Amino acid sequence: MNLGPLILSFEVATLATLLAAVIGIGVAALLANYRFFGRDLLDVIFTAPMVMPPTVLGYYVLVLLGRRSVIGHAFEALTGSSIVFTFVGAVVAATIGALPLVVKSVRAALEQTDPTLILAARTLGATRLRAFFSVQLPLATRGIAAALMLAFARAVGDFGVTLMVAGDIPGKTRTASLAIYNAIQAQREQEAMLMVVVLTTVCLALLYAVGKLTARRTEDR
Amino acid sequence: MRVAAAADLAIAFKEIGTAFEASSGKKVEFSFGSTGLLAKQIGEGAPYDVFAAANISYVDEVVKADACDGASKRLYAKGRIVMWSKDKAQLPASLDELRDPRYAKIAIANPDHAPYGLAARQAMTKSNVWHTVEPRAVYGENVQQTMMFAQSGNAEVAIVALSLAVTSGGSYVLIDPELHAPLDQAMVVCKGGSEGGKPNEARSFVDFVASEPGRVIMRKYGFLLPGEAAPPPSK
Repeated sequence: MNLGPLILSFEVATLATLLAAVIGIGVAALLANYRFFGRDLLDVIFTAPMVMPPTVLGYYVLVLLGRRSVIGHAFEALTGSSIVFTFVGAVVAATIGALPLVVKSVRAALEQTDPTLILAARTLGATRLRAFFSVQLPLATRGIAAALMLAFARAVGDFGVTLMVAGDIPGKTRTASLAIYNAIQAQREQEAMLMVVVLTTVCLALLYAVGKLTARRTEDR
Repeated sequence: MRVAAAADLAIAFKEIGTAFEASSGKKVEFSFGSTGLLAKQIGEGAPYDVFAAANISYVDEVVKADACDGASKRLYAKGRIVMWSKDKAQLPASLDELRDPRYAKIAIANPDHAPYGLAARQAMTKSNVWHTVEPRAVYGENVQQTMMFAQSGNAEVAIVALSLAVTSGGSYVLIDPELHAPLDQAMVVCKGGSEGGKPNEARSFVDFVASEPGRVIMRKYGFLLPGEAAPPPSK
C-alpha cells in the first residue's frame, strides 16, 4: 500500500495541532481569565468552525488566503509558493477544524482550576502572567492534553476544507481522507479499506486516551 | 425522476431538463458529480433513474453491478477538452506553452475518476509537457470544481470540458482530440435503487436527449453527436 497519504496526514495534523495549540491556548486563556469588550464575539468566532459547513470555511479560505487575495498574494511574493494548493494550505485547512476544540476544551480546563491557588500565587508576588504559566496552566495540563488529542484527531480527519483549498495533489496535499475518497471512486476498495482501518484505529485510540485523561482528573478531586 | 450526470453536463443538461419538462410535463432532477463517484453510488444502489456518464466504461460498470439496464445503453455525445482561462491575455496558445513557468498552477480534474481529467493528462503526456506540468498541477474533484479553481483566479489555466467553457465568459483554446482517448459519453436507464425506478420516464428522457431538440442543445454546448463528425465552432 502507498503510505504517502497517511504519513502526509499525520504531518499535516501534527503541525495543525501545534498551530491550534498556540493560538487556541492563547484565546482560551483570554476567554477564561479576562472580561473585555467583544469577548463573546471572540468566543463565537473561534467556535463557529465547529458548526459551519466545510464549504463555507473553504470559501473563506479561498477568498481570504487565495492567490488573488491580499494575504495570499503577499505570501506568494515572499515565499515563492501560494498558500492554497500547498502543504501550508492543507495545514491551514486542518487547523481551522481543530481550533474550536482546543479553545473550548482548554477554556473549560482553565476555568476548572482552583482560583484560590492562583490568588495565593498572586499574594506571594507573582505577576498575572507568571501565575498563569506556573500555576494555572500546569493545573490544567490534563485538560490541555485531552484537548490537543481531540484537535489532532479532528485535523487528521479534515476532508471538506482540504478538498476545496488544497488541490488534491498526490504526495503534496492528498491527505489520507482525500486518498480514501479517491480510492473509493476509482474502485480501489482494498486501498481505501486499509487507510480506513488505520484512521479508525488512530481515532479510537486517541478518544480512549482522552477519556482516560479526563476521567482521572475528576477522580483526583 | 432523478438523473445522475457527469459534471461536464452541468450546464447543457440544465437546459435539456427545462426543454424536456416543457415538452413532456414530467419533472426531472439532476445530480452532477464526477463520473467515478456517481458510478460508485449507483452501483451501491443510489436512487437514480438515468446515469449519464462522461465515459462509456463507467456505464458498463453499473450495468455489470446490475444497477442499470444494459439494453438501454446509448452513446449520446463525444466530449471535447479545452484550455480555459479567465482572461484572454493569460491563455496559452497551445499545450506546449504550458511549459512556461508563468502558468504556476494548472487545474485538471482528478484523472483517477474524472474522465475529463484523464483526457487532459493523456493530451499533456502525448504532447510531452506532462512531466513539466505535473509539479504545477492541481486537481479538482470533478471538472466543474476544476473550472472553479481557474475562475477564482487560483489557477492560471484549467483544462476542462468545452461544454462548460462555451458559456463561461472566459477564453478557451480547443485541444486536439487526437491527443487523448475519445470521451465517448454514454447514458443508461437505471433501476432506481431501493425506491424502484421510473423506467418509462427514464427512457423518454434518454430518447429526448437523442431527439432533434435535444441534439440542438447538445450541439450548442460543443458536443460532437453520434453520427456527426463536424468539429464544433472555435472561439
